[in-house]
Amino acid sequence: MTDASLDELGPVDFVIVEFPAGKSNFTGEMAEELVRLVDAGTIRLIDMLILTKAEDGTIEAMELSDLEDLGPLERLEADLAELLAEEDVVNLAAAMDPGSVAGVLVYENLWAAPFAAAARRAGGQLIANGRIPMQAIIASIEADEELEKVGD
Amino acid sequence: MLRPGRVGRVGVVGAPVAKAAVVTAAVTPGPSPVAKTAVVAAAVTPGRRRRI
Repeated sequence: MTDASLDELGPVDFVIVEFPAGKSNFTGEMAEELVRLVDAGTIRLIDMLILTKAEDGTIEAMELSDLEDLGPLERLEADLAELLAEEDVVNLAAAMDPGSVAGVLVYENLWAAPFAAAARRAGGQLIANGRIPMQAIIASIEADEELEKVGD
Repeated sequence: MLRPGRVGRVGVVGAPVAKAAVVTAAVTPGPSPVAKTAVVAAAVTPGRRRRI
């Protein structure tokens, strides 16, 4: 990848979506929504793996192409890069509970790329990013409410 | 099964991933799941001012 294309690259994230044993309900809706995000130019799907973790902790990784019926994902599969390495599988599966199945998605946030590139051109550099857990938001609001009660 | 191209390469994740708190666990259990959802919605409502 050239410096120019690197400069235009949006932030790349991964997510692991775990399906605990007996709780999966695949209707195709997830695949359709993923394709919608790609088609809308919101994200570019870079890589995807399906991981299973047995009760004894054994990990198995499947490529998207290993699945029998890809449905709407078939169109995306052809454009995937093999970014994740074998050692990543072990690191990613560390988050999974035994007996679960998980989908791992690696994607470029295309929506953020123009802003990120502009920030770089302005001399800015990303020094931190993160996600605020829903639990933290709830705790913050509840703490505010408690403070208001004390103030009454 | 992993494609051969993934084997032996340097990974990009870097370290074992810790399990994040499950979002639905924060929103759905408890006596009033609807109220908790409303609390979150209020937190991200435009115009909410921070307390310093």
